[in-house]
Amino acid sequence: MALLEVSNLEIAVATGGQLLPVVRGVSFEVKANETFGIVGESGCGKSLTSLAIMGLLEGSQVRITGGSIHFDGRELTALSAEDRRAIMGAQMAMIFQEPMTSLNPVYRIGDQIVETLRQHRDMSRRQARDRAVELLDLVRIPEPGRRIDSFPHQMSGGQRQRVMIAMAMACDPKLLIADEPTTALDVTVQKEVLDLMADLQSRMGTAIVLISHDLGVIAETCDKVAVMYRGKIAESAATGELFSNMCHPYTRGLLNSIPVVDRDVEWLEAIPGRVPTIDEVLSGCAFHPRCAMAEARCESEDPDKRDVATGHTIRCHFAEVGSA
Amino acid sequence: MLVYTIKRLLALIPTLLAASILVFLFIHLIPGDPAAILLGDTATPEEVAALTREMGLDEPIWKQYLLWLGNVLQGDLGTSVFFREPVLKVIGSGAETSILLATMTMVWIVLFGIPIGIVSATKHGTWVDQVTSGGAMLFASIPTFWLGLYLILIFAVGLGWFPSSGFPSVSDDGGWTNLRYLILPSLTLAAPNAALIIRLVRASMLDVAREDHVRTARAKGLHPAKVAIKHIFRNALIAVAAAFGFTFAALVSEAVVTETVFSLPGIGRLVVQSILRRDYPVIQGVILVIVVLYMVINLLVDLAYARLDPRVSLK
Amino acid sequence: MTFIASFLSMFRGRKLAIVGLIWLCIVAFAAIAAPLLAPFDPLEIDPVARLSEPGMPYLFGTDHFGRDSFSRAIYGARMAVIIGLGSVVVALITGGLIGMLSAYFTRLGHVLMRGVDVLMAFPALLLALVLMTLLERSVTNTIIVIGVVYATTTARILFGMTLKLKGEVFVDAAICSGAGHGSVLFRHILPNLISPLLVQASFIFAFAQLQAAALDFLGLGLPPEVASWGNMLSEERIYVTRAPWLLIFPGALIILSVFSMNLVGDAMRDSIDPRFKDDIAGV
Repeated sequence: MALLEVSNLEIAVATGGQLLPVVRGVSFEVKANETFGIVGESGCGKSLTSLAIMGLLEGSQVRITGGSIHFDGRELTALSAEDRRAIMGAQMAMIFQEPMTSLNPVYRIGDQIVETLRQHRDMSRRQARDRAVELLDLVRIPEPGRRIDSFPHQMSGGQRQRVMIAMAMACDPKLLIADEPTTALDVTVQKEVLDLMADLQSRMGTAIVLISHDLGVIAETCDKVAVMYRGKIAESAATGELFSNMCHPYTRGLLNSIPVVDRDVEWLEAIPGRVPTIDEVLSGCAFHPRCAMAEARCESEDPDKRDVATGHTIRCHFAEVGSA
Repeated sequence: MLVYTIKRLLALIPTLLAASILVFLFIHLIPGDPAAILLGDTATPEEVAALTREMGLDEPIWKQYLLWLGNVLQGDLGTSVFFREPVLKVIGSGAETSILLATMTMVWIVLFGIPIGIVSATKHGTWVDQVTSGGAMLFASIPTFWLGLYLILIFAVGLGWFPSSGFPSVSDDGGWTNLRYLILPSLTLAAPNAALIIRLVRASMLDVAREDHVRTARAKGLHPAKVAIKHIFRNALIAVAAAFGFTFAALVSEAVVTETVFSLPGIGRLVVQSILRRDYPVIQGVILVIVVLYMVINLLVDLAYARLDPRVSLK
Repeated sequence: MTFIASFLSMFRGRKLAIVGLIWLCIVAFAAIAAPLLAPFDPLEIDPVARLSEPGMPYLFGTDHFGRDSFSRAIYGARMAVIIGLGSVVVALITGGLIGMLSAYFTRLGHVLMRGVDVLMAFPALLLALVLMTLLERSVTNTIIVIGVVYATTTARILFGMTLKLKGEVFVDAAICSGAGHGSVLFRHILPNLISPLLVQASFIFAFAQLQAAALDFLGLGLPPEVASWGNMLSEERIYVTRAPWLLIFPGALIILSVFSMNLVGDAMRDSIDPRFKDDIAGV
């Protein structure tokens, strides 16, 4: 039994009295101690998927319109707001893209970690503070006993992201959702933060859902990968399988847009065109206007999900051509 | 903190000096002989000549200013033409009423303005928000004296719940129960200012609610009310605190009107009556006192601001 | 035509602001056509008909001199528009020039803005009161005094906005292509500030009504014979228990007009350049 099972998730945005679907038929599962990557361009629905799992869509104009999210033996879409909050920050935690703005500027970082602890654990102020120092030490903040009284603006971006990780790990969550955790950081710091997450995972057995637009980051850290395009999973496989046997033309386009240092490329082969906006109605395969392999069939017929190998699914009419 | 306060106090001096020059020139801008103006219509030529010598009116104007400033710094703001008493004493006699009125008004502003603003922001887009923010704008559009007159008409004349005018000192018979005289005036004075605070709290909270750290707070599993108060309102308070300086200025302006409507023996009514009585030394004194007070309040607001926002460094 | 279309598009989905706009149009119409609309001379005294109740022929009743309140209210609309527009013009021209020049010529700005700071150390109505003691009660002086009071805030706002625009590429481009100071300020910077200025103007217009009414009430505003809403309230307030309608009508007219102007200003503010939104403090 997987820890997290998302099946046929549908998310829609309410604008001008109508519902525009932005995430359609997304299904995947994540086991304990596993890292699952979701990759795609901005606007593909990967962040909305992660927010839906976390339960942070509530109250905005974006909402879940179908499907289920099964977590640790419970159906999250059926829970009351109160039961949902008992899970948020405790069994399931999240870190975000912008470490510079994700911490409240008016409170000391220690108090922000303590707040999470005392929300879910029966702890005295003293105990929570001691635990916060431990957590800061765990995420390799130097001099944690002193830094616990720092304000966010007194720390660097990398340090703030470590604080975010410490806060997320405070209650030993079973699942950590990381939405572009390293995008806003310097390259050297990126590596440190990713290593830290991997290290914590191996110690605590946490499952991680890692959202990124960067296939390089995904390749380094994830066990399984889903490539999203325009609200749907275009291709999904174990990381090794995916990178050795890419089928979907979109996935290959994504890979080709990463500069490779040890290969002598004349130019970067980026995907032509742009991600269509959500209110553009497209017939057939959503990728066909940008796809080099598109044929008449792609314009009229939306491809169904099918297997090309064990655990390797795609949504494309021409997978065989791709795998050749 | 102390060093910062002292630095800020020193930085006030040039503005204060410039303002004092304006206040000093006020008497000289009135057509006529300043000594005659200061003494009023009943003065004899001998008295005028004596004061002319005393104020150094035959000296160059900058010398006159220094002489005047020297007196002011020693607490001598001149003598009231009407009361024949030192101006500082005349102002002091209105201070109790005005300070109590201002305090009571601030209590109403905080009591009504902040909770209604929070509700308006958290119910953003619903009918509750539309009623509260629309109502707040309506209250900010009512002339103070009109509101005061109708409060008198309804609650004093009609229902007889409160006295309609005047204010015996709390040291008079009745003691602190005399404060009931200030309930209608303070509500009158609070209405437009509370309305501004409601709109400000609402707008700042809506701004803060869009920030990333609020999402972090929600991701901790905190109750929405806790997110609204501890994370959104607390941060919005920084902008609200900055506006309290303006609120003081608005209070002073509207207190002039309110004290007149309710015949309260405060500093505001003193200004109006002194203008009508052409008691220029008192006008000059009151303005000087209010300007100094306003600057001190702004300084306090800045200090509070620095305490509320750790990003503001006190260096 | 496109200007009117874009102006009207600001009010889409804001029913209350549309009602406000319609009310302001009515006030403007009454102001222009006052002599045609008023059934009586607003100054004509009829001792027989003192303190008449509202009805025919005196729609809003008569005051203690026996003057027709309805006619006075219509001429009051004219006075409201004159005071409002006059104060806006004085405030925007003096304050606007000081603010723009201060931001553009840094050294001059140090001096001018310090002066503005000093004036801002005086609470608004207090400054107006003091200026009025030095001047005679007249329409022009009331406009000047209210205009000067709001010129200080306008100067501050325009100073900030000009400073922001000064750093923009298009200003550098204009300077590089040899544009003179005047041309940069008024042909390149000013057009970008028109819509925030209009918003500021709407709030000044609203505040000016309240300030003018307060001055009238204190006996330091318009001369007592002038038919203005503030004077109508001020003069008749002692008759409030005998003739409550005398305060209801002018009061309601002031409240409605100020409220409408605030609603319109609010709707306009939401559609201006977000860079300038925080600069303008309305209601």
